[in-house]
Amino acid sequence: MQKQTYINKIPVFIAILLCLILGVSLLAVLHPAPRGTDCIADIYQDGRLLTSIPLDGSSASYRFTVTGENGCVNEIEIRSRSIGILSADCPDKLCVHQGFIESTGLPIVCLPNKLVIQLREADSPSADITAY
Amino acid sequence: MSLRKLTALSLYTTLSLAVYAIECAIPPLIPLPGIKLGLANIITLILLQRYTAKDTALVLTARILLSALLFGQALSLLYSLTGGVLSYAVMLLSNRMLQKKHLYLTGALGGLFHNLAQLLTAFAVTSTTGVLAYLPYLAISGILTGLFTGLCARYSGRYLLPRL
Repeated sequence: MQKQTYINKIPVFIAILLCLILGVSLLAVLHPAPRGTDCIADIYQDGRLLTSIPLDGSSASYRFTVTGENGCVNEIEIRSRSIGILSADCPDKLCVHQGFIESTGLPIVCLPNKLVIQLREADSPSADITAY
Repeated sequence: MSLRKLTALSLYTTLSLAVYAIECAIPPLIPLPGIKLGLANIITLILLQRYTAKDTALVLTARILLSALLFGQALSLLYSLTGGVLSYAVMLLSNRMLQKKHLYLTGALGGLFHNLAQLLTAFAVTSTTGVLAYLPYLAISGILTGLFTGLCARYSGRYLLPRL
């Protein structure tokens, strides 16, 4: 009898656990990323910092390409306050669909080419940044 | 393995490949890496409920290898494998604990852990801490799509092949 009630509680326990994870994640997603200040875009490939580009509105927009070890190419465009990937030769093009980012929320990730573009506020160091 | 069972499992493998192909044809609704419906999980859930753990693992392995061969790229195999292995282990455990009931809960857990494993793989591949910012997005999508596939498995199972 005791075991039976214990087993009956497992689905409830799992459901509550899932709801908790869902709730915490929703809070994290809806939590607005700080924006408005000047950002610096760090471009990582394979975990190495390739270059840091200040997005302070001072420069005109320009484009450049990043070539990976397998000859994978991403074309990146820098605008005055945002950065995005224009074209990529990966099959799914998810990084292109992510468009341009201008705040320190989600980084742009191109998994096939191991490329990560992450923004940080101008006065924070580049190492060990977390988004939250 | 009897011939009947072999045939049934092969049919299920074909079915999951077909479902996977259909899913590949659907354009991504949310342009974030890792967020997708995971429709092929429906077949895995049905198999977990009807067949043994070993049979399910066989079909899942065949589906992952064949789908990478037919539709995928070299790197997507790595993501499918890590996601598949972890979500299979979690769903197996959960299905045992729930005594094969509440398939939608098993599905949601499977979706969640599938995405967690993929995020950890992405972290290992890119070795950039920034990708971990995707955690809440992937957790939400994993749970919701897992719930959906679980409900699909529950309501479509009865129209599929009888247990052979």
